[in-house]
Amino acid sequence: MGDDPRSKPASGARPSRAASDRPLTARAARLARLEGRRRPASRAQDNPLRHGLRLERLPDPAIFVLFGATGDLAHRKVVPALYQLWRTNLLPPEFVLVGAGRRPLEDAAFRAAMRRSVADHSRTPLTEAAWSSFEQRIHYQRTDLADPAGYEALAGALDELDRTQGTAANRLFYLATPPSAFAAIIAGLGGAGLDHEIHGGGWRRIVIEKPFGRDTMSAIRLNREVGKVFRESQVYRIDHYLGKETVRNLLVFRFGNGIFEPIWDRRYVDHVQITVAESIGLEGRGAFYEETGAVRDILQNHLMQLLALVAMEPPATWAADALRDEKVKVLRAIEPMGRPEVAARVVRGQYGPGWLAGAPVPGYRQEPEVHPESETETYVAAHFEIDDWRWTGVPFYLRAGKRLPRRATEIAVRFRSVPHALFKNAEIDPEPNMLALRIQPDEGILLRFAAKVPGLGLDVRPVNMDFTYGSSFSVDSPDAYETLILDALLGDASLFTRADEAERAWELVTPILEAWAESPPPDFPNYEAGSWGPAEADALLEREGNRWRRI
Amino acid sequence: MAADLAAEQAAAAEPAGSSEAGTSEAGTPAGAPTAAPPTVAEQAAAAPAGSAGVRAIASLEGSGAPGPPILRWDGAARTVAEVEAELARIWVSPEARAVVAAVANEEQPGRIVAARSSVLNLVAVARRPEIGQRVAAEIATLTGRHPSRTMVLVPSDPDGPAWFRARVRAYCMVSREGSAETCSELVYAEAGGETGRHLAAVVAPLLVHDLPVAVWWPGDVPFGTRLADDLVGLADRLIVDGSSWSGDGLDRLRVLAGVARTVQVTDFAIARQARWREAIASAFDRPDMLPYLGSLRRISVAFATLGGPGAEVATNLVRPVYHVGWLASRLGLRPAGRLRRETRKPSARHASRSGAPDPGRGLRGTLAGDRGRAVDIVVRPVVSPVPPGSTLRVELLAERRGRELRVEVTGEAEVVRVRAWHDGIETLDRPYFAPRQTEIGLLAEAIESGASDPVAHAALEVAAAFVTPGEQR
Repeated sequence: MGDDPRSKPASGARPSRAASDRPLTARAARLARLEGRRRPASRAQDNPLRHGLRLERLPDPAIFVLFGATGDLAHRKVVPALYQLWRTNLLPPEFVLVGAGRRPLEDAAFRAAMRRSVADHSRTPLTEAAWSSFEQRIHYQRTDLADPAGYEALAGALDELDRTQGTAANRLFYLATPPSAFAAIIAGLGGAGLDHEIHGGGWRRIVIEKPFGRDTMSAIRLNREVGKVFRESQVYRIDHYLGKETVRNLLVFRFGNGIFEPIWDRRYVDHVQITVAESIGLEGRGAFYEETGAVRDILQNHLMQLLALVAMEPPATWAADALRDEKVKVLRAIEPMGRPEVAARVVRGQYGPGWLAGAPVPGYRQEPEVHPESETETYVAAHFEIDDWRWTGVPFYLRAGKRLPRRATEIAVRFRSVPHALFKNAEIDPEPNMLALRIQPDEGILLRFAAKVPGLGLDVRPVNMDFTYGSSFSVDSPDAYETLILDALLGDASLFTRADEAERAWELVTPILEAWAESPPPDFPNYEAGSWGPAEADALLEREGNRWRRI
Repeated sequence: MAADLAAEQAAAAEPAGSSEAGTSEAGTPAGAPTAAPPTVAEQAAAAPAGSAGVRAIASLEGSGAPGPPILRWDGAARTVAEVEAELARIWVSPEARAVVAAVANEEQPGRIVAARSSVLNLVAVARRPEIGQRVAAEIATLTGRHPSRTMVLVPSDPDGPAWFRARVRAYCMVSREGSAETCSELVYAEAGGETGRHLAAVVAPLLVHDLPVAVWWPGDVPFGTRLADDLVGLADRLIVDGSSWSGDGLDRLRVLAGVARTVQVTDFAIARQARWREAIASAFDRPDMLPYLGSLRRISVAFATLGGPGAEVATNLVRPVYHVGWLASRLGLRPAGRLRRETRKPSARHASRSGAPDPGRGLRGTLAGDRGRAVDIVVRPVVSPVPPGSTLRVELLAERRGRELRVEVTGEAEVVRVRAWHDGIETLDRPYFAPRQTEIGLLAEAIESGASDPVAHAALEVAAAFVTPGEQR
């Protein structure tokens, strides 16, 4: 007893989900999501002063343990994102970053290296004041990833930091290492008891970077290794595509607008095309790509995630599992292909030399670190069918490729044609309506509809109604890694991939990889760099009277 | 004719475009784009009297690549109807389209460009031409995160003869690599005499229909006049800066709270305090600090003043009062009586001893919470070289179970610093890197957010209630 009465915020001041007059923006969605978020037990009480501020809840004090701290991903993405969060005061003052790696490094040397990566890769210039305070929060712990004693030492160092830095026994382990090291690290963490959540405070979370396996079996194996040590609620599988502003906006677009959801089904939609086109080649990652290919690199994760978000049913709430349940349901409604379907509905390609943006570029097999007779695919196009009440009979065409004419990620929903050609005298029939959601670059939404050509006759021409994100909102969106790392620190898993989701996506693409492994590609390279992929990809759609949207 | 001139320029632009990319050849039309807009008013003044001069301006310089906004269209008008015609011409005239298309297609084949952004109408009212020019220049830099149509209104010489002249411009920019060019329109209108007193009649026909209207009124808003009431009546959102008001600003603050019941209000003075709010809130994120919020004893806010005679009435108090309003509204505290001048007389002794000018009197009041809890409010002037009215320090004092917590937040240009003491022992010291926001950044935020901000609104309500005369005096 004797607890002081807690003050309550002024009535009506706290944003509530009932405030339906609020325009639906990504920010509003985020606020809604923040509200739907489950509060961890350690934070029993809310800070009334935080209501309505940029961040309604600051992450708990925590140690961010970065494995692979000297690697490329840490340098280019993770550390700059952390710096950015620190600079904008979105991390608690008791935040500590611990780099864990094999190399013997002093704190000072590690800090200097991190400083360079922030200076090179941060989206805002490094400011001395912000860096010098962030720098004090950075430590390095030499950890031999294969040696159990190393993890014991790490555990001791983290406990020591808890005492000196007030990090309250909360830990986030971030695996920015090559996937081959995942199992060893996870086992090592488990061996040292670093996974144990302490009752009444002190959470432990682990962030795993894609790829989550190489095929169904390895994904299941990896999940089993993770599951031996961590509970699924502690695991955050990061697919940075889901942190992108437009992908999150896709949810707002579908479920925040009344006019689209009623026509979002087989009665009105003719087919859906999802494109992830890259104009770049390998950018020095030849060895990596030789092992990976377009299916593992893009189709299994990014394209499947986009497909699930476009096709899923509305979740009941913004809670993480409600959203992920719906995504998994979509993936389960897709029948994995057999050999004949793979032959008929999947096209692979590899680029040869060509011209891109006015300059000659080498073919894939001429790239460094690539086998001169490599059979790795740099392009994939596939036709998937979702067998559920909403989508049966609607083809979903997915394609991804490197060295295509331009960089573009887009979802195009083509609606059915009008049932009756009323304007018989028109020179061309009205084209079906189309809705395109551009994800990058030039984020926005485009709706194509028919209009009469001015004049005495009755000619019909398609016109575009175009909404560009950049022209309506500030262009300074947070980087996807900032969004996702902050979510992980806050304990919000909705934009992370769940184990069953990752496994199901592998179950859908593994038959394709297996079928291809059995039959070598007939004609690689089969498309020129700077073209829109092999002719077979066009034929794939033409068979059903469709064609790829020109982007 | 003017149209012919534009067509010629379009023709001139084409060969320039089809030759090597980017180099602006000798054929670049007159009025080559400048990143910073030239003084619009000068050009409006220089416009030929009587007829509308129309120019479409094209250059390959900078188009297709991200960069500062480029002037793409410039015309003058003498009547509101001419302004309307001019605005329509930007988007429908074949010559203008030809210019834009020529520029665009050479740079990015197959790309549709020059989308007019469609977000809102922004009406800025400037009391003096120099304010109008500053405002126009600032808004031009916002193209890309920008309202589709901006009107800068400069009323002048209310008792002279009625006159009107305007300049109509389109600014375009590419905000990021690979994105489409977006354009926005700027109407710079000056009006004198009777016309200047009925600016709402100028604005109404020129609004892009169906889009919300934001009225930005830098400096003193003449609440209660026909001009202000009409324009505020047109607005969905009123944007002001309470810290720029003359006197102590508290009279206007009371009126603003009334306006805020019907129109969404953004006050830069509140928006600018976001960094203070975050810093103050952060002190209570810690579970051991949070309970103290329920047992506050005193909130004191120190603000800067130049001191000396007259400072007391001339120093704007809006910012310190907003701090109190925000804290009170978040913590469920209500004003008990009015925030009043301290009764202490200016101390001659103080002045003579330190040699510094007398800071004048501050304000004192009481907030009431649940169960008879009372919180003392002290708003205290401190002689300081920073601009008068700026917040120097916010201090919260709480007592709970015999322990005392003091939280002190101080602000400088780039950093807000939070410190806390438990029974005199320092337990928290954290600098927050949060630079002061610029006016243009605040404006962009205000026009982007669209939604009402319940926190700012509640802070304004409580602040106004706290300075409204009631039973006292």
